[in-house]
Amino acid sequence: MTDCGCDKAKAELEEYLHRELSEQDFQDITDHLANCDDCTGEHLVGVTLTLKMQKACQEKAPEELRAAILSRLTDVAG
Amino acid sequence: MPTAVLERPAQHAELDSTAMSDTAQPSAELRALFEDQALTFMDQLYAAALRMTRNPADAGDLVQETYVKAYAAFASFEQGTNLKAWLYRILTNTFINNYRKNQRGPYQGTIDDLEDWQLGGAESLTQGRSTRSAEAEAIDHLPDSDVKAALQSIPEDFRLAVYLADVEGFSYQEIADIMKTPVGTVMSRLHRGRRLLRDLLADYARERGITVPAPTTRSAT
Repeated sequence: MTDCGCDKAKAELEEYLHRELSEQDFQDITDHLANCDDCTGEHLVGVTLTLKMQKACQEKAPEELRAAILSRLTDVAG
Repeated sequence: MPTAVLERPAQHAELDSTAMSDTAQPSAELRALFEDQALTFMDQLYAAALRMTRNPADAGDLVQETYVKAYAAFASFEQGTNLKAWLYRILTNTFINNYRKNQRGPYQGTIDDLEDWQLGGAESLTQGRSTRSAEAEAIDHLPDSDVKAALQSIPEDFRLAVYLADVEGFSYQEIADIMKTPVGTVMSRLHRGRRLLRDLLADYARERGITVPAPTTRSAT
């Protein structure tokens, strides 16, 4: 068990969230979060922000758009 | 517990690499393949186009243009590579070339050069756990319209990077390819964009009477 400390964890939480860390760094941050309420709280805000955005941006393309695109493709094909 | 990391949204299933050879295809076959593979991303591209153009009419036009260009180039798309990323590259290029020049705000051109203090988003390294839990809860209670309004109001390059990473689940390298910037720039845009969003959402929550702990870090502007 390693603990990288708050400085490293806070600096890399966003990359942790986005899964952009090496396996070793990922494990280091995971270990740190297990023991640090402060960084866990910070991570929770980050996760919440991402999940809210995913939920808010779920628009469906209007049916007319699909029809318009299909018609344009036919024109392109000549 | 909130220590879990996010699952990336499911990637499009591996494309059937035998479906197309390098030789020219009859157009009916190409058309069927395109409809089958590419049109399934229409809702996602439309939602992304809404973030870019910030209005439904332009978003619809942008998605149309994107599909026309993609279809024209589809014979050269390498089957088995990431079709979604390929479509997003075309979407982003089309947006930048056709729409962005009409929409640039005063800071857009040099936004990456602004210092963090100019953006009003200092790091919050001093808040405690309970403060942050309250912040997460406040964000969680906001309506979708607030989240979209906040996204609309941050600088475009930040908004795009955040959208591509957080909503679409692209990797930093994929975003760098889509936005034609170095990975370091992507990281900086993500970091600043998310910081701005977080502060905006805290403001919205306060306006709605949701208790949010006063930020200890907001720089005076």
